[in-house]
Amino acid sequence: MDGMFYSTQNVWTWWIALYLFLGGLGGAVVVVTCLTDIYIKKHKQLVIWGNISALIMLSVGSLMLFLHLLDPWAVIHVLNPMVLINKPDAWISWGTQFIIWMIVWSMVYTLPYLLESAFWKKMPLVGSILGAFTWLGNLSEKFHKTIGWLAIINAAGTVAYTGLLLQSFPAVALWHNPGVPLLFMVSAFSTAMAFLLLVLYLAINDKEDATLRVFYERTDVILIAVELLIIFVFFHFTTYGLESARYTAGILWNDMGWIVGFLAFGLIVPFLIEFRGVTKGWNSPVPIVLAAIMVLSGGYLLRHYFMYAGVYERPYPAMNSIMQHSQSEHTPTVSARQGY
Amino acid sequence: MANKHYAMVIDLNTCVGCNACMAACAIENQTPVWDNKWRTYVHDIEIGNTDELVRRRFFPRLCNHCDNPPCQSVCPTGATHKLDNGIVLVDDEMCMGCRACALACPYDARYDVTSHDVEEGKKFFGELTHRSRPSVDKCSFCAHRVMQGQKPACVETCVGSARMFGDLNDPKDEVSKLVASGVAKPLMAHLGTRPNVYYISDIERST
Amino acid sequence: MAWNFPKLSRRTFLKSTGAGAAGLTLLKTNTLLSQQSLKNVDKEDVSYTICNFCSSLCNVKVTSRTTNGVKRIVKLDGNPHSTLNRGKLCARGQAGIRQTYDTDRFKKPLIRVEGSKRGEWNFREASWEEAWEYIAKKNKSADIQPWEWTLIGGWTSCIFYMNWSVPFAVCNGIPNIVASPMQHCVTTGHLGTDSVPGNFNVHDEILPDYDNAKYIIYVANNSSIAGVSTSRAVRFTQGKKNGAKVVVLDPRVSETGAKADERVAIRPGTDLDFCLAMLREMLDKKMYDAEFLRIHSNMPFLVYKGDGGKWHIAKNEKGHFVTIRDGSQDYHIVPAYTNNNRPNVNGEKFCSALYAPEGTIIPEGFEGAGKPAVTVLQAQLEDINHCTPEWAEKTTGIAAERILRITHEFATTRPSLIDPGWHGARFANVMMVRRVQAMIQALNGGIDKKGGWIMSGEFHHKLAKQVEAKQKGQTLGAPMATYTGMDFALFVVKAFSSGETFQPHGRPGWAWVYSAQQKAEGKQGVALPVLADEGLKESVEGKVKWKGKPYLTKAFFINAANPVRHYYPDTYWKDIMASDKIELVVALDVLPSDTTPYADVILPHSTYLERYEPTVYGNGVNQDLAMTTRYAAIDPLYDSREIPDILLKFTEIFGGKETAFDKLSGTMEALAGLPAAPTKAAWERFKKDPKEKNPFTAACREVAFVEAAKKVHTTVEEFDRVLREKGIYHEESWEDILKHQGMPRKLPTPTASGRIEFYSSLFDMLGGNKPGALPHFSVLATHIAAECRKGKTMDQPLDKDEFYFAYGKVPTVSYASTNSNNPVLAAINIFKKDIYTGVWMHPDRAAQLGLQTGDKINLTNTLSGQQADGRTYVTRLVRSDTLFIPSAFGVENPQLTRSYAMGGTATNKLIPHNVEPVVAGFRSQEFTLRVAKA
Ligand SMILES: Nc1nc2c(c(=O)[nH]1)N[C@H]1C(S)=C(S)[C@@H](COP(=O)(O)OP(=O)(O)OC[C@H]3O[C@@H](n4cnc5c(=O)[nH]c(N)nc54)[C@H](O)[C@@H]3O)O[C@H]1N2
Ligand SMILES: Nc1nc2c(c(=O)[nH]1)N[C@H]1C(S)=C(S)[C@@H](COP(=O)(O)OP(=O)(O)OC[C@H]3O[C@@H](n4cnc5c(=O)[nH]c(N)nc54)[C@H](O)[C@@H]3O)O[C@H]1N2
Ligand code: SF4
Ligand code: SF4
Ligand code: SF4
Ligand code: SF4
Ligand code: SF4
Ligand SMILES: [Mo]
Repeated sequence: MDGMFYSTQNVWTWWIALYLFLGGLGGAVVVVTCLTDIYIKKHKQLVIWGNISALIMLSVGSLMLFLHLLDPWAVIHVLNPMVLINKPDAWISWGTQFIIWMIVWSMVYTLPYLLESAFWKKMPLVGSILGAFTWLGNLSEKFHKTIGWLAIINAAGTVAYTGLLLQSFPAVALWHNPGVPLLFMVSAFSTAMAFLLLVLYLAINDKEDATLRVFYERTDVILIAVELLIIFVFFHFTTYGLESARYTAGILWNDMGWIVGFLAFGLIVPFLIEFRGVTKGWNSPVPIVLAAIMVLSGGYLLRHYFMYAGVYERPYPAMNSIMQHSQSEHTPTVSARQGY
Repeated sequence: MANKHYAMVIDLNTCVGCNACMAACAIENQTPVWDNKWRTYVHDIEIGNTDELVRRRFFPRLCNHCDNPPCQSVCPTGATHKLDNGIVLVDDEMCMGCRACALACPYDARYDVTSHDVEEGKKFFGELTHRSRPSVDKCSFCAHRVMQGQKPACVETCVGSARMFGDLNDPKDEVSKLVASGVAKPLMAHLGTRPNVYYISDIERST
Repeated sequence: MAWNFPKLSRRTFLKSTGAGAAGLTLLKTNTLLSQQSLKNVDKEDVSYTICNFCSSLCNVKVTSRTTNGVKRIVKLDGNPHSTLNRGKLCARGQAGIRQTYDTDRFKKPLIRVEGSKRGEWNFREASWEEAWEYIAKKNKSADIQPWEWTLIGGWTSCIFYMNWSVPFAVCNGIPNIVASPMQHCVTTGHLGTDSVPGNFNVHDEILPDYDNAKYIIYVANNSSIAGVSTSRAVRFTQGKKNGAKVVVLDPRVSETGAKADERVAIRPGTDLDFCLAMLREMLDKKMYDAEFLRIHSNMPFLVYKGDGGKWHIAKNEKGHFVTIRDGSQDYHIVPAYTNNNRPNVNGEKFCSALYAPEGTIIPEGFEGAGKPAVTVLQAQLEDINHCTPEWAEKTTGIAAERILRITHEFATTRPSLIDPGWHGARFANVMMVRRVQAMIQALNGGIDKKGGWIMSGEFHHKLAKQVEAKQKGQTLGAPMATYTGMDFALFVVKAFSSGETFQPHGRPGWAWVYSAQQKAEGKQGVALPVLADEGLKESVEGKVKWKGKPYLTKAFFINAANPVRHYYPDTYWKDIMASDKIELVVALDVLPSDTTPYADVILPHSTYLERYEPTVYGNGVNQDLAMTTRYAAIDPLYDSREIPDILLKFTEIFGGKETAFDKLSGTMEALAGLPAAPTKAAWERFKKDPKEKNPFTAACREVAFVEAAKKVHTTVEEFDRVLREKGIYHEESWEDILKHQGMPRKLPTPTASGRIEFYSSLFDMLGGNKPGALPHFSVLATHIAAECRKGKTMDQPLDKDEFYFAYGKVPTVSYASTNSNNPVLAAINIFKKDIYTGVWMHPDRAAQLGLQTGDKINLTNTLSGQQADGRTYVTRLVRSDTLFIPSAFGVENPQLTRSYAMGGTATNKLIPHNVEPVVAGFRSQEFTLRVAKA
């Protein structure tokens, strides 16, 4: 054995982690609001809050990605829907289209509600633009469910895409496994629940939403539980697995940000808080709001650490854009990093 | 005529670590040396942890022109594409520089050409600069030379004749024979990338 | 085969399913091709030249492209027609194109701003006329006499312009030349090697046949082989492919060591011990080609012990030698000069004995008559009989069994080869190391033989003519062009050591005067300070006396040399040049080296890609006989001038415009053989061409082409056509040359006796057998201990913070030269920064000193107290008692921007001015270093 080098990347850093987080969150929010609106309870405020927030999240997220491009003008090649015919194997192709169409359909879906809302109609500029789209609003009302489903499908695609994208990088054990899309999906919906709980508690704050809130809390508890389970599976997968995975484990389980930030305060504590909320209930919304904030932070941290701890294994030290430009790793090694 | 299937064999026994390949490639392909970016590297690696066992190994590497290139499958613009002769190329006109390919490539074969690099390139190479747009870049197997019947620049100058280039579809080709014999093996084949750069390992030193 | 790849790539899949995608594929291929090759290109040209980054002299193919009327060089490659470098170039050669386009280049002459001091970078741009005027004025006002000028040349000026520089010096009465390769490699290393087969030449003559060798030993070789001299590296790696076993002696794992089958981590300075043990074992066990030694060497000649117990070879009045007929007591007398001992002076064929029977005495008629006699072989064995493997084990640190095994493997494998080595210096014993290596090689008969040492085609060519002339009792004209081997060396020695050459003042070089002065004072002095710097400082200080008066040095012309970086120590040169005793310093260079800040006038030279050379050259060290030259790929980018015209201008300044041309050209005809009359005619013609900035250079080239074409019986046009199309004019392959000019099998060697000399006539001439002579001059191989610490042997333990010192070149830099500024090479150096610029230290020692890679350290020479700093590179690739420091870095001139930014240790800040007594070779590693954390 000649020795292998293990290194992480610094090409896709927190910018992209934030993008993945906001993409997953935004997508999941749209799915949840639309489904809630169609099947549980028509909820104008929720749809407006949810879908406008999703719009902002995806705009911010996409902007991060866009600014990160070396040649932003060439983005035209992926904005063109033909990309799905030319490059159906690339998840970014699908992701871009999902995001575009998710935004389009979710906005069309929201339009009738906006047109109904005095707040939005009176808003300068936005009001007049909305006015110009009254016809679309009418149309949307007519096919509301179909449009809802179009938004849902694209939003779900967006959620799935964030995980599938990472999974498509075969060199990194942490990424290249079917657990990743699953984990990202569950996490996205969990954060979406958390976000909507914040909306329901802090923005809408309607007593009538109590059942909905409980439903969201319940769902979130289940999602967090599943997420914990998946994380446990990843623990096993990385610890008893390939050498590069063991390096990942070495990084994650030596990092307080991961253990305390993500695991403890991003999953376990909110799980306990929400679990108690579901079983015994809280007297004040504060614990749930806190829990929701923790879940959201956890959602970001999860992606952050996934980008950060993806370990490549090579018979030579990394040098290109993957790493810095110096021969920094001196000795190749075959033994996993110690310390957990 | 049947398609070519280009491949490189690198004989680690005779790579002397002279870096001529790096220099040749940098000049032929105008890589941004001012920012230390290369299409090929020759690593200088110390192996072994006793004075008796210690060895110095030179390890040249470049894009493997994989037959199942993950860099290509993840590329959303289609900038990364594979020619029928096996060469994997990046079209800098189409590339938007998302670097998904760089993450997907298990071999660390890709680097960024930034707008700054494009500007520097104009100063460095004058009117004959190749690049007009930023993009991700990597070894092209010197497709422009190969298609004119020449060898890649790094192979042409390889002082140790360590780098050999040939056609796997031609059973009489030296490279093809070395690959067929099994002495030349690809890197990290288990990843499913089906690389087309093969290595002949250094013979174990007798003492 | 496990790897049978599916042919269906995603793109081919797309292509077969959609027309759009198919269109895309084709389109992309086309853009790519047009992008990289001929976009905006009106014209592509190919021309040929010779690399200028080391004396491997690789043949280069230059590709240039013209766009909008501007021609640019785009790529350099090895000349595919060259059998020297076989179409390859090393990194320095590849990147050479960036020297021409280096933004730090000199673009116009520079003159020191009045009031500023040498050492400060304070220059103003000037025209050539101004620069000449400045020089002429100063030369006059300071009344600088010809002998008060010293010329300093690098290998470029040696190899390419010797035929101008030496006649220039001679015709202007300038007896002082310091040349950078001499004290490092040419005299210290090669003279040792070449004293055995006699083949001395400036800048190497042996290119061993690694291709066909089965066993190769390298002693202190690296950049001369894999690290990298392309002409050798291509053969070395081919040899490896052909299955040669490679043994490398080096205290660290060099590039060559990395390729070794067996790496011998020898203690620095103890190679002689190792080699002597080999020599002793091979002699003792009779592991040699006895037939070869009997016929072609002086091994069977009788020697006797003279006064002081030193060996003398027995000669009679006619210079004949005497041997014993094998198996008898009969004397046989052999000729003074021949390559074949088999027929004696009477023409009888016989077999001479390598061992003289007990009781043999020197016969009547010979010096030492009546004294007990043995053969050279016996004497040699007697002298080194104590040099057993066990003895060598102590100092070298290499187990005796291992030395024995390697010796036996070497002696029993055919063909086996011990490399002659290249760089000398380092220790006072290195000249002897190289001699012993040559003896070991000669023991197995591997000289001018497949798989052994092969002399260059050019050497054979000259040797054949020289032998022919000798046999006819003629002397050849134009010695610089016709002499080779020891004859050439002795010609150079004679020219510079005797005042006769330099008229009307009659002074020899100050180095020779100083050497004589030292001897007169009872000091050792340097025997052959050939183009060396020994005595320079003393001359500047007025301490060298010629006929009672100070022999001063007042001015320098530094041509393609960088003594501040390349000689030892840097301060020796800085102090001299900054001294107010020096009136004028003129430097000719292409880039702001560390020496140029000390100039008063800097003249810009063209780079090698921009110039036509003034002559046709032999094909370097090539085993084949061939000719080559440089063709300019582009017009000079800046206002540069060529060396012949510059030297002509100097001649005008020194002695007046009217006589200058005839003086210089006439001396060139006499020494170098370039006919003066046609040169003058051509010069007059070129002078009238307003576009020709270098009429003398052009004239020389024109005439040189005529002469060369004559030599190969072709027309100038045809000769030029071949060189333009191929870059090489091939004459004869080495296999064919050996059939009729192999040495010593077909031709006598250029030693005094014509044989392979184990008993050295050179060292005999230098008084090596006089009582009290230092072992460095010994006529036979002998031991000289390295003395790194006063009074201590190499095997005594070192202090905790003390190390032996070894340095070497890196593959991407020439010497410590300005090409470290090349942006491509600089980038590689950054990529390998620790390895290429760090101070290599073994982890055990580093741990003891609390050091890690990258830590700043101070280094102190324990003998001289000199200091330098560096950064640690902790690696097991070096012996634990040794620090290895790459000597390529430590540039101090901020004008050389990238080199300056690189940092690194300037090894010449650690090396004192301490030389060995034969040729003033630098004892550049003969001390220890102390390390402290900075
Ligand atoms: N530190 C250190 N010193 C060494 C050595 C070492 O390894 N390390 N090696 C020693 C050996 S073996 C040798 S042979 C010598 C060689 O020493 P030099 O012959 O001095 O070596 P170079 O650096 O090639 O040439 C010196 C100068 O020539 C300039 N130059 C380059 N090209 C041209 C040109 O076309 N025209 C002109 N006019 N100038 C040009 C360079 O800019 C440089 O300043 O160095 C010796 N000194
Ligand atoms: N890269 C590069 N290559 C060149 C040149 C160049 O400038 N740069 N110049 C050319 C010229 S002019 C020359 S002279 C040759 C010189 O070529 P070489 O003679 O090969 O010189 P170096 O590379 O300086 O040193 C060779 C090795 O000697 C080792 N060494 C040091 N001390 C000792 C010792 O005491 N014993 C033993 N056994 N080994 C020791 C060093 O570790 C180093 O690896 O290179 C030629 N090739
Ligand atoms: S040119 Fe050849 S021998 Fe030199 S470093 Fe590159 S691969 Fe190795
Ligand atoms: S960086 Fe360029 S080549 Fe790479 S995946 Fe993105 S678009 Fe494709
Ligand atoms: S080595 Fe990397 S860049 Fe090259 S084809 Fe394979 S995956 Fe793509
Ligand atoms: S094949 Fe061409 S592009 Fe690739 S490393 Fe070699 S020289 Fe560079
Ligand atoms: S070995 Fe390299 S630097 Fe030396 S002449 Fe050849 S190509 Fe030039
Ligand atoms: Mo040298």
